[in-house]
Amino acid sequence: MPSQTDVVTFVNRYRILLLLALVFLFMALFAPRFLNMFNMTIIMKSASLNAMAAIGFTIVLICGHLDLSVSSTISLGAVLVIGFRPDLGWSGAIVAAVAAGGVVGLVNGLLVAKARIHSFIVTIGTLTIVQGIIYVYTGGAALNVTGALDFALADFLEDPILLFFPPRVIITILVIVGFEVFFLRTKPGRNFYMVGGNRETAWLAGVKADAYVIWAFIISGCAAALSGALFAIGISSATTDLGVNSLMIIVAATIIGGASMNGGKGQVLYSGIAVLMLTVLFNGLNRFGVGSEFRILASGVILASVVLYEAYSNYKKERIRGQRPELLKELDPQQLKNVASSLKTRKLQE
Amino acid sequence: MSEDRTLRQNRFSVLISVLGIYFLAAILLIVGVMVSERFLSAANMLSVVGGVTILGLVAVGAAFVTYSGHFADLSIPTTMAFSGVMAVEALQFGIVAAIFTGLLVGLLIGLINGFVIGKFRANPIVWTLAMAFVTRGLMRWIWSNRQIYPEVEGAATGAGQHFVNLYRYHLLGVIPMTVVVLAAFAIGLHFVMKQSSFGRQLQITGASFEAARLSGINVSRNVGLAFLICAMTAAVAGIFLTSLSRVGAYYMGEGYDFAAVTAVVIGGVTLAGGRGSIVGVIGGVLVIGLMRNVMTLMGIDTFAQTIVTGAVFILAVGIQSNSLRRLGRDDA
Repeated sequence: MPSQTDVVTFVNRYRILLLLALVFLFMALFAPRFLNMFNMTIIMKSASLNAMAAIGFTIVLICGHLDLSVSSTISLGAVLVIGFRPDLGWSGAIVAAVAAGGVVGLVNGLLVAKARIHSFIVTIGTLTIVQGIIYVYTGGAALNVTGALDFALADFLEDPILLFFPPRVIITILVIVGFEVFFLRTKPGRNFYMVGGNRETAWLAGVKADAYVIWAFIISGCAAALSGALFAIGISSATTDLGVNSLMIIVAATIIGGASMNGGKGQVLYSGIAVLMLTVLFNGLNRFGVGSEFRILASGVILASVVLYEAYSNYKKERIRGQRPELLKELDPQQLKNVASSLKTRKLQE
Repeated sequence: MSEDRTLRQNRFSVLISVLGIYFLAAILLIVGVMVSERFLSAANMLSVVGGVTILGLVAVGAAFVTYSGHFADLSIPTTMAFSGVMAVEALQFGIVAAIFTGLLVGLLIGLINGFVIGKFRANPIVWTLAMAFVTRGLMRWIWSNRQIYPEVEGAATGAGQHFVNLYRYHLLGVIPMTVVVLAAFAIGLHFVMKQSSFGRQLQITGASFEAARLSGINVSRNVGLAFLICAMTAAVAGIFLTSLSRVGAYYMGEGYDFAAVTAVVIGGVTLAGGRGSIVGVIGGVLVIGLMRNVMTLMGIDTFAQTIVTGAVFILAVGIQSNSLRRLGRDDA
């Protein structure tokens, strides 16, 4: 028979999976025209943009830093891949876009790890800088794919090849699972957790913390640019503000997925599932015919409840810090009172 | 030889830490004079100040959040919008009721933020982000994405015109009332931060939360009050912004959160907490205004301006935190 604490631990550990199941079940039962192949494909497609970008945000958060520049890096990847296509071809353009994202990440990483500027500051700065570069590059207008042949890749990426999984979604899942295995099962991957969780231990273990922080930012930049690039190829066009709404969703999903702002906690896979959960929620609400305002409210309420729940359980833990409940239980209440009053009188005498 | 070098570096560091942001403001003034002779005219200076008064109001309040070691309040934009919309909605009961309602919204959001972050120690960035989601969703839901107009809502009582004039009112015909309100807030909050016992306790709380808690300071109350002050000035700024744009809508105030952080941090309030002053924050706000003005006079287009602003932001904070570290005054 599982005890109460077992249940709490189980819920805490698989919170995001339970939430996804709950939301999905509710929508499947009540939302009209929700449960069909076509709609599942839509959900997977719209989730994959933010899910891949969430990889980077999560790994930077695990290292104990923030990367607010993901939203403009997504737009950068999208704009560059469409812009470079005529000169470099698709493969060259994708490589160039991802490399540009990597450069943004490298700059972030160097400023944070070497120049020792707070990541919150650095990435707000690069957020505006990259957005400015995008505007200068495009002149503020959306870029579109021209030429009939160029839609072949888009068609391939967006058409389901297996159930409701188009290649773009499969690529996203593969990348996420790849990083999940890397971060959890390999030595360098696990070092990322050590750098964020306990810097001193990392130092004692001879882990070069700076290098890991820089790599985390590079991964973040590359992942964001790649997700933006694939999305842009899929819809054959890139707007300058493609990633603007992504930041809020990615932050919310990463936190709901169990990562902590203090670092050392979180999983790439869970962040991806949290993005999927939010997408299912948005899509289902859409089927009910409510507007985007309700989606924002719903995601806000979910994020607020998760944060409040975590903060409150921490608060309860903090309150008994330094006490030893198992010892206090052994003493009888009368004895405790005597101890307290004798302490008081001693203080008064002093 | 090497000693000489460290000494010189230290002198530069001392200069930066003392003069801080006004050093940058002076450089911008010199650049401005070189760029255009119209720069120093009274009209241009007034437009520099007028362009950043709302940002200034937001920043002097947001400074308390950063000062307390809690980074930033990302619910500033929605607080501004919400107080503006509610004020417009209450215009049918008169101008006083409208302003009062707007401030009440700020009070409410500030209390919720302060309670959850101060008492339960929720992460400030994530919590205020959630708060921003919730208030924005509520606003768009209740008013179904519509904009509301003060001149329409307050037409019956004639309060609408008064509301629109709030931003445009000039004392003695020359000094904008917003500047006077900003000055009053800045001076008042300066004394709260530097002279009151709350301010001193907040400084210790910001510098080291645990040390403050263990020395018997009511940290929950102090942090809560910091978020309350922030939300209140955001509400005042929101009322002015709504009055300026003659429309109340959910998207008002967008971008003011990061802009306020920029002003606060280049103004010398470090993210580590417990350091900085309102005088510096006002300097930071002025630098932002001067920078925009100088760049516009130089003919740099708005797209390129965002690049320069971002670079200056990182550079200014980088130099400042580096010089503090060199002086051994900060480990952040």
